[in-house]
Amino acid sequence: MIGKIREACRQVEVDAIIGYRKKEGEPREILHVFKPDEIDKITFSPLSSNNPARLLMEILPTMNKVAVIAKGCDVRAIRELVKENKIDRNKIYIIGVSCDGVVDYRKFRRAVQFRLNEIESVELDGEDLIVKANGKEQRFKFADVMSEVCKHCPNPTPKDYDVLIGEPKEGKEDFSDIEEIEKMSAEERWNYWMDIFSKCIRCHACRQVCPVCYCEECLVDPVNLAISPMTPAEEKASYPRVLGKTVNSSDNLIYHLVRVLHHAGRCARCGECERACPMELPLTKLERKLWKVVQEEFGYSPDEDIPFLSKLDMG
Amino acid sequence: MIYEGDFLKNVIDKLIEEGFTVYAPVKVGDYHVFKRVSKSEEADFNYINTKLSPKEIILPENEILIKYGEWIEEVPISNEKTAVVGIRACDARALKLMDRVFLEDIVDPYYKARRDNLLLIGYACDKAGDYCFCQSFGINPRGSCDVDIFVTKLDGKSFVDLVSEKGKEIAQKFELKEPVDEDVKAKEKDLDFVKSVNTEKLINRMKEAFESEYWKEVARNCISCGTCTYLCPTCYCFDIYDEGEHKGVRLRAWDSCQFPLHTLESSSHNPRPEKWQRLRNRFYDKFYAMVIRKGEIYCVGCGRCIESCPVGIDIAEVITGVK
Amino acid sequence: MSEPKIVVFACNWCSYAGADLAGTSRLKYPENVRIIRVMCSGMVNPAWVLRAFRQGADGVVIAGCHPGDCHYTVGNYYAKKRYTLLKELMKFVGFDQERFKLIWASASEGKLFAEEMTKFTEKIREMGKQEKLRRKIE
Repeated sequence: MIGKIREACRQVEVDAIIGYRKKEGEPREILHVFKPDEIDKITFSPLSSNNPARLLMEILPTMNKVAVIAKGCDVRAIRELVKENKIDRNKIYIIGVSCDGVVDYRKFRRAVQFRLNEIESVELDGEDLIVKANGKEQRFKFADVMSEVCKHCPNPTPKDYDVLIGEPKEGKEDFSDIEEIEKMSAEERWNYWMDIFSKCIRCHACRQVCPVCYCEECLVDPVNLAISPMTPAEEKASYPRVLGKTVNSSDNLIYHLVRVLHHAGRCARCGECERACPMELPLTKLERKLWKVVQEEFGYSPDEDIPFLSKLDMG
Repeated sequence: MIYEGDFLKNVIDKLIEEGFTVYAPVKVGDYHVFKRVSKSEEADFNYINTKLSPKEIILPENEILIKYGEWIEEVPISNEKTAVVGIRACDARALKLMDRVFLEDIVDPYYKARRDNLLLIGYACDKAGDYCFCQSFGINPRGSCDVDIFVTKLDGKSFVDLVSEKGKEIAQKFELKEPVDEDVKAKEKDLDFVKSVNTEKLINRMKEAFESEYWKEVARNCISCGTCTYLCPTCYCFDIYDEGEHKGVRLRAWDSCQFPLHTLESSSHNPRPEKWQRLRNRFYDKFYAMVIRKGEIYCVGCGRCIESCPVGIDIAEVITGVK
Repeated sequence: MSEPKIVVFACNWCSYAGADLAGTSRLKYPENVRIIRVMCSGMVNPAWVLRAFRQGADGVVIAGCHPGDCHYTVGNYYAKKRYTLLKELMKFVGFDQERFKLIWASASEGKLFAEEMTKFTEKIREMGKQEKLRRKIE
């Protein structure tokens, strides 16, 4: 598959290619902006989990044409950004890759018995993941180390691409784990979420890594206060602030609720927020609950051309 | 000295009896964090290092400085006896580095009160983590002089180093005996480190590379999330702000040099508007500015930032790569 | 227990005028209701609702024009949408979503406004003080 991806990159005239490269000393794959003469360094494996949409949005203004290697969820994010006029579709060349699911690196590290720098290769063989190191190999079920959000992916094959690598696959979107939580009583649900948010340290990594959270000034944490030398002191002192830097369960809940509400109908369900969170919070559950509401109550589907929050008809 | 049995678990019980507030590593989900424990069964010492560093204990994420309303009410500085059991050598060295910031020049009374009442019981590492590189800074993971008592787990017994006077006082309550030669040999184990950082001619290299394009390359993936600063045991930047209009509190909260708001001045000028400038600042603060100011590199090689960085920026790789 | 605090975001053209009419007609409704005038119910941000709960409100009401009557044509449709999304999320996390309500009241419905507010205040009084989202650092 890597060979086919590299072939596809060679076929097209671009200024840069956003793909994955292996990090030094461990099997982890991270995003990298390749120049056209570095195509041989591009890799792809079940560990290529990062979402290139945000990086694409950042570098596109300075380039003419950029190729991007994108899985199903990545293309969902790119389509959303195109809908909102943040990415010019004519300037990008999507090399779609039909995805089997990605490995959750934390689960992987806990399951593997070798040291990370000894691992030579990680390959998918049917339903098993094979890890080879020092002449030995370890097999475990891919489903045991797969990212939670991949198990509920609606379309692992990108819906929009310029060239497709891999066989088209059907996804299934089911909200069974959300329904499990909804079956609990209100008290149990409150305790469940308070327990989760007591761990949050408000580092805002979830917001920074999300491709759809691109506001220059955030409502709950104004990271770029819009002031000028002309702003009077009184205005600066009384700048409206929804939430400060107090860190406790209920304030963390408010931060996460406001963040998720802004993603109604826009979230790509790529799972980056969960992967970025240093305290390993299950953030995709909140995002997917909102998707469940958007689909079931409002009947909106992500294939539509109008962003959900601007649509007027209601269920 | 040798103690027959699990010194760490027993010292937790003893310290609780003596009225200490004890923090020990507790397993939460799939990782460990330092939490207050009320009995030794809650602690779990089966870990390489905790997710969050123990800097929470002396520099809390939220600290109330004063309360205001009709009048200003000063909040009494906490001075209860606290103990941290199971701290690693790297984190203990980080506490020493933080002391040099908060207790030299201007003394921070809140930090001082907590630090004076803090007892540290260290715990030797059995194996090096995938991201650990403390040996590059001269830190010995099997022996530390930055704690009060240092414990190494051997087969069925614990090797106990009494480092300070406070430590000797506590140790008097336990039955300790002299070690034999094989105990000493078992303690001096060499750990198998995978990572390292090249600190040769560091100041010169950093000085030459300040304006280089290298930092833009390094920061290409960076998302300015601040995870590295929040998890780092030596990062100490904080912000003070008021919560509440007519009646409220003045809070000290963690801040991060990676947030654009950190350097925004009242005139609206921001000296570090771009994210590569902020990322470069983090490396320069730790490996250049503090070396000149205090003579110490402000990194202890715990590897937490490398493990949790969402985009894979590796501080050891970056510094080694500075030509 | 002390009196409940109800925060109402009333849209300038319909429901605020309705509240005004209740006032001029001397129709009584509880003093616990504190009205904030916004230009349109569609401008009420869910973050404000959550902030109201954080600052100690026991109940929050969004009051707007009837569907089809909005001064800005479609603002109240957006209000209904945002209200539904926030309410579903509140249900999901276990917060008493009955403390949050949306009503349509036109400028001539002073009586309706007063009745709705009275009913809502009674319900909140029974439910008690809201502690879950209140600001914890005092």
